[in-house]
Amino acid sequence: MKAKSRPSALEKRKNLSSWLLSLPALLWLLCFFLIPYLIVIIYSFLTPDIYDVKFEFSLAAYRQVFSGGYLRPFFLSFKLAIYTTLCCLLLGFPVAYYIARAREKLKNTLLIFIIIPFWTNLIIRIFSWRIFLSYSGVLNGILMNMGVISQPLEILRTDLAVILVMVYVYLPYMILPLYSVLEKLDFTLLNAAMDLGANEVKAFFSITLPLAVEGIFAGTLLVFIPALGAYLIPQLVGNQRSLYVGQVITYKIKNIPRNWPMASALSLTLLLLVALMLLIMYGLYRRHLARRQTQ
Amino acid sequence: MRVFSRKWYKGLNLTAFSLVMAFLYIPILILIIFSFNNSRIIAGWQGFTFKYYVLLFQNTAIKEAFRNTMLIALLSTLISTTLGILTALALENKHFSGRKGLLALIYTPLVIPDILMGVSLALLFNFTRVNTGMITVLIAHVTFCISYTVIVVQSRLEGFDYSLVEAAQDLGARPSYIFWKIKFPLMMPGIIAAALLAFTLSIDDFIITFFTSGRGFDTLPIYVEGTIRRGTVTTINSLSTLMIAFTLFLVVITKRIRKILVSAL
Amino acid sequence: MEDIVLENVSKDFGVFTAVDGVSLTIHSGELFSFLGPSGCGKTTLLRMIAGFETPSGGTIRLGNQDITDLPPYKREVNTIFQNYSLFPHMTLFDNVAFGLRIKKTPKAEIKDRVREMLNLVKMEDQANKYPDQISGGQKQRIAIARALINKPRVLLLDEPLAALDLKLRQHMLIELMNIHDAVGITFIYVTHDQGEAMGISDRLAVMNQGKIVQEGPPDDIYERPLSIFSAYFIGETNFITGQVKALYDDYLELVCDDGGGKSFELDCSFQHAPAVGSRVTFSLRPEKIAISRNKPRAQDDINMLKGQIEDILYLGSHTQYIVRVGKLKIRVFSQHKRVYFDDKALDWEEKVWLFWHDTDTWMIENDALEQLTEAQLSESGQLSRALKRRGS
Repeated sequence: MKAKSRPSALEKRKNLSSWLLSLPALLWLLCFFLIPYLIVIIYSFLTPDIYDVKFEFSLAAYRQVFSGGYLRPFFLSFKLAIYTTLCCLLLGFPVAYYIARAREKLKNTLLIFIIIPFWTNLIIRIFSWRIFLSYSGVLNGILMNMGVISQPLEILRTDLAVILVMVYVYLPYMILPLYSVLEKLDFTLLNAAMDLGANEVKAFFSITLPLAVEGIFAGTLLVFIPALGAYLIPQLVGNQRSLYVGQVITYKIKNIPRNWPMASALSLTLLLLVALMLLIMYGLYRRHLARRQTQ
Repeated sequence: MRVFSRKWYKGLNLTAFSLVMAFLYIPILILIIFSFNNSRIIAGWQGFTFKYYVLLFQNTAIKEAFRNTMLIALLSTLISTTLGILTALALENKHFSGRKGLLALIYTPLVIPDILMGVSLALLFNFTRVNTGMITVLIAHVTFCISYTVIVVQSRLEGFDYSLVEAAQDLGARPSYIFWKIKFPLMMPGIIAAALLAFTLSIDDFIITFFTSGRGFDTLPIYVEGTIRRGTVTTINSLSTLMIAFTLFLVVITKRIRKILVSAL
Repeated sequence: MEDIVLENVSKDFGVFTAVDGVSLTIHSGELFSFLGPSGCGKTTLLRMIAGFETPSGGTIRLGNQDITDLPPYKREVNTIFQNYSLFPHMTLFDNVAFGLRIKKTPKAEIKDRVREMLNLVKMEDQANKYPDQISGGQKQRIAIARALINKPRVLLLDEPLAALDLKLRQHMLIELMNIHDAVGITFIYVTHDQGEAMGISDRLAVMNQGKIVQEGPPDDIYERPLSIFSAYFIGETNFITGQVKALYDDYLELVCDDGGGKSFELDCSFQHAPAVGSRVTFSLRPEKIAISRNKPRAQDDINMLKGQIEDILYLGSHTQYIVRVGKLKIRVFSQHKRVYFDDKALDWEEKVWLFWHDTDTWMIENDALEQLTEAQLSESGQLSRALKRRGS
């Protein structure tokens, strides 16, 4: 066997030009993505001041994070992320399936309908739900006119409203990856399964679902992770009794007295949680791939 | 491909689809209708009016927020798309020694909640004592757009038929001629897609802007959120309707652009 | 006059040797083909001539000029790519004009020459269309026009018909020959399709595992294959082994074992004489064999064998018979020319006579089995059986 040849002059020149081409983005991300996280780490060990930080070492922030007082926001955020992901999956799957099975001409139109809300300003979509759900809002008006209720319901500013709007906002993120795997799925397999005696339900669980696993992973990644850091939706449609991590972090920075170290420590904890979730999902995904290969 | 299914199974999917469609669109429709409602508060239909659209155009704060939003969106699109093109070209070289590290750096921001980027940038600007304002918002927007523009341009390059470059070489074209006459025109749909994505992301962003804009520099989402919090929402309906119209306009335009490009390719 | 000269050209990709010491001369104005299975190195060889790959060793000359290390854009060589590689964002006119625009040719001249070229390939009325608006055959024509407009000394064609359907392929093949006659330059044609190569080439080289196995005019290679590989790869054939019993000036006598305890004698032609007593393999093309239920009249230069029909495959233009001779199975193609055929059709299990001219039994000189891959071996089970027996 011959040894692998050393890089030629041409390859070296190409490598150099690649470094030069990527240098601007590399420097940018270094300065404005990596270094800021270093500062977050540093700040988490400092002492808070009313408007700023004092450069005195302190473990107070971490002591507070792990003393239990901040467990509830993490728990709530985690619960919210799980509910949101599950609801998006349950609602999104049939929709993605329906689009994937639609006639070729119709597909693009249906997809556009899914994408339009995705392109509409987030804050406007949340605002529209406030109009719909509020005490004197449309939903209460309709229900009262129909005689279902006599007093307006307090729907806005509940945990349910938060989940509802979260699902509303993140649904397209679940539908699109699901659609892209279902679109590639060979539907003749379903015919084959039914030919072999499976009914629709069995065919779904034995053919469609296993082949859509990759889309489920991608969709979950796109919904679950952002949901963990949600701020705006709980802030606008939730209440102050259940505060989520995103809100707590924001308050520590925006409200006076400021507590930068606390915000930093909470952010790092959230980052750690995200990393953990990513690792778990990566592990599950690897196992899924391994199982598919052994089959 | 037609697949046999019994009626109830097909009906199930259609029902789910219709429900989701209603779920996605009813709130927006109500918002649009109520922007023409002649009432100071959101309560019942009080008659048709254009009053709030007139008020909207007289509101200088909104005008300024709109100008800021567009300025930031255009600049951050320009910068992030340029960086995206360069980086995608670098990543095209599969033997590039920094490829793996660069890819990790580009994909990581996508799997971290936005709020953390906001917090970290807020800390950076606090630590460096930079006055927050237009420049800091611009920096933040470029930072979160880069990953998307790189990936979109790169995916276009991935499908690039390298034999076209060979064909051009074979016909006597030198590398720089090939880049400007063959490669760049063929990258164009990817570049436009990346730019549109960056533009919408920039317009849409609330949380990162919230952490990096100082007092006196509001973008539309920041302005709207403040207004909602203060409870003076009358003009927000009409503003929202206009923004939705703008979105639809963008969708149509992209379709047009895409059609023109497709017919040109 | 020689046009392309390859001297000991090699190409390694890491540990894989794609082209292994190829030396070859291609004459000016010739239509020369490289024929071989996928992975035999023919495309790599073509890409080295075009300049897309640099040889690991050896030299390539174009006329008197050494072009081994010249970049593609400095070579007077143009290529037709397998997928045509038309620039999708340019009209057909602009595609054809591409090479001239690089050379900064005056506008009026570009217009005239593009028209002329489009006329040559019969695409003059489609100049303003885009590549995705025309058919595969039309793309092919534009690719040819785009290459020929640069007046190259050599045109390289990399499997140019592979993407077309059968009827169109036959049509384009004739068109390519006409274009070759019209422009008079050297064409180098790469294909894995033996029919294309045989039909179009003045000369061809059969390639396998990075080496040239045999080169020569098509009929020479078909009638007188020098190796197992060229006999196997081009057309169909029967391989039989035997022992040299006697050697004469222009033929030899063989004793063959039929595997069932009996042996038979055959006369066989050769290029270089083997030693008496050695074992040799010969190739016998199925269409050379006549088949009949009546014993033919004995003649000096006719080989005769008695066998029994095992299988009959009706294939439209001809019928294939599998005839058992002892344990050997011999394939015979018989065309349906009914004027001198047996009155009654041959039937399964019928006893028949096979006979053929003894110059059609052609001795293979290079019968190294290694030339064939596993897949090829299992495909021709008969061959491997025959050769296994030879080894034992």
